[in-house]
Amino acid sequence: MAGMSTEQLAAFVRQIFPRLDQLSYYDLLGVPSGADQTAVRAAFYRLASDLHPDRYHTLADHELKEQLEMIYARLCEGYRVLTTPEKRAAYERALNQGKKRLAATDRESHAPQNPEDSLRHPEAKKFFRMGMICLGRKDWKGAIMNFNFARTFEPAAPLIAQKLGEAQAALGKPGGAGGTPPKAP
Amino acid sequence: MAVVGIDLGTTNSVVATVRGGQVVVVPTSQGGYLHPSVVSFSADGLRYFSVDAVARRILDPKNTVYSAKRLIGLPFRSDEVQKALVRLPYELREGNNEQAVFIGPDRTYTIPEVSGLLLGYLRQCAEMFLGEAVSAAVITVPATFNDSQRRATVDAGRIAGVDVLRVLNEPTAAALAYGLGQNMSQRIAVFDFGGGTFDITILRVENDVFEVLATGGDTFLGGDDMDSALLSILAELFNAEHGLDPRNDQAARSRLLIAAEQVKRHLSDFPEARGDLKNIAVDSGGEPLALRFHIARSVFETAIRGLVGRTIQACQDVLASVQLLPSQIDEVIMVGGTTRVPMVRAEVEKYFGRPPRTDLNPDEVVAWGAAIQAENLANAGESLPSRAVLLDVTPRALGIAVTGGFAERIIDRNVPVPVEQTRIFSTSADHQTSVRIQVCQGESRRFEENVPLGELELNDLRPARRGDVSIEVTFKVDTNGILRVRARDGATGAVREAAVNVRGAMSESEVEAAAERQKYEEPSNLPEIPEA
Repeated sequence: MAGMSTEQLAAFVRQIFPRLDQLSYYDLLGVPSGADQTAVRAAFYRLASDLHPDRYHTLADHELKEQLEMIYARLCEGYRVLTTPEKRAAYERALNQGKKRLAATDRESHAPQNPEDSLRHPEAKKFFRMGMICLGRKDWKGAIMNFNFARTFEPAAPLIAQKLGEAQAALGKPGGAGGTPPKAP
Repeated sequence: MAVVGIDLGTTNSVVATVRGGQVVVVPTSQGGYLHPSVVSFSADGLRYFSVDAVARRILDPKNTVYSAKRLIGLPFRSDEVQKALVRLPYELREGNNEQAVFIGPDRTYTIPEVSGLLLGYLRQCAEMFLGEAVSAAVITVPATFNDSQRRATVDAGRIAGVDVLRVLNEPTAAALAYGLGQNMSQRIAVFDFGGGTFDITILRVENDVFEVLATGGDTFLGGDDMDSALLSILAELFNAEHGLDPRNDQAARSRLLIAAEQVKRHLSDFPEARGDLKNIAVDSGGEPLALRFHIARSVFETAIRGLVGRTIQACQDVLASVQLLPSQIDEVIMVGGTTRVPMVRAEVEKYFGRPPRTDLNPDEVVAWGAAIQAENLANAGESLPSRAVLLDVTPRALGIAVTGGFAERIIDRNVPVPVEQTRIFSTSADHQTSVRIQVCQGESRRFEENVPLGELELNDLRPARRGDVSIEVTFKVDTNGILRVRARDGATGAVREAAVNVRGAMSESEVEAAAERQKYEEPSNLPEIPEA
């Protein structure tokens, strides 16, 4: 097999793409739910041979190409989940809860690192965070004051200097002097 | 317009294309097929490339760049660059955005610029040989290359004015060149031991589908290390004879290193090497000092046993990761000049229990595969007997930094690409209005034990209590193995996207400026093609 014609591909993408999130991996790969690893692989290889984005490298329709790539990425995901026993077991549980996709979208207990995590001194951290809150409220003067306090505890930190610079630049702009008056720390 | 495959190697590069269904390799001006990956600069702005630049490694070592592949896409302060610095005679400094930049005689050059100059030269060689313009190329990279190294390789292509159709993994290219798996299913190991890197890759090939099952290796293990081992042997001999360590003299070291490489090649075909090296260094009276040597293959093998052992260890690790035994591999393909070393072949045969395949030239096989894939992509493979589909995987896990110094994985290692994964995170402080998302590569739970790739900042979050603001982080790895990161402020419904600032990379405007500059610069030594 060596891919489909552009018309065949467009028809296929139009049919699958809008329903992508409603299709299970079994539906997408066209295998029964009891299919063993060899059957799943054979189905995936057949589809990959027809649908791999490399087959359509010269395709001019970028939207079609992008949608195809998303379908293909989901096929890869399905192939991987259904051929990895632990992942397949987890997927069966997810399917029973009405989920069609095994993705790590669960809410995490951890959070992304905060900018102030790079600071060492606890007081510097505290004032830096207050400065960031002021920045968020467009209280430039309050931000400058807090960043200056933070800097007295950690004078060498480039992050503080950077944010201080940002606040000063914002204050310097026309209309930048507004916002809530700063409160004394 | 022709399309080519380029194996942009640490030591040598090879260019190939498909003509009438057959792969042809672009020759060098000397009639060989290996274009040394060397660029030399002079103060008056002249540049020398490849075969013409090799001699300048001795004449002008400070201005002659080789092994640029060891540096491309890596921040100046990375372990790899710092390790390379010790051995390289040319000067590197830290430039914009943590990049390593070469201090040339006329100006500084970023590493993608140096590689871009070489790519421009290789393109000219191809154009002169083929008699037509070359518009696009597939460029190969080690399977272990990370996101930044792949991006930098694409940047080098853009600087050279070459449309990079695909960044293709070298082992996959080699498997493609061998055209295995016709009408059957096979498991293949590609043992790729080049000048600077070692890769081991396990593939399943079935009809026209090539699936990478696992890949591993060592980005700092190659024939260069064998040269260094031989250099030490030669230097000790010289020291014993003249009471002078030539390794302390840059020019003497360069001469001995070139001799070491020749000795290594000789020892692949003969049980011993003898030689008489003149003018290695001068004594205190200015008299030239020579070295007469006699090295047996067994002495060389003792010196490299540890290096070869590391390759076998990597094979064990990668097979274990896919729960396969060496006996379950149907074919072992040898790639890279270092696989000519008899001890390497013997150890591979011993480990896998079968003689490895060496019927295609191990130096050219990667460029062959790249040429086939270029034809596949650009011309829908019309002239090829079969059209392969390559199913590649992510070489390392990808994740972001989370509180407590941990890394939270978003995409696993060895996952088929393209892949897209989204995870949702929450803020960790009250009234937090911005988050810095640090992206890393590696399998460790601790962020600092992984390789940092870059970061993006998401600002203007709605001020709220900790945990009330959710941030969606989406990682997308395309078929080139290049990562795109998107972060959205989920709580306000507002979509905010930010670009990752990749550590050690050229900025978009730097790449454009360099490409513009190179457009108007011709190489000083135009490639010559030998008569047919």
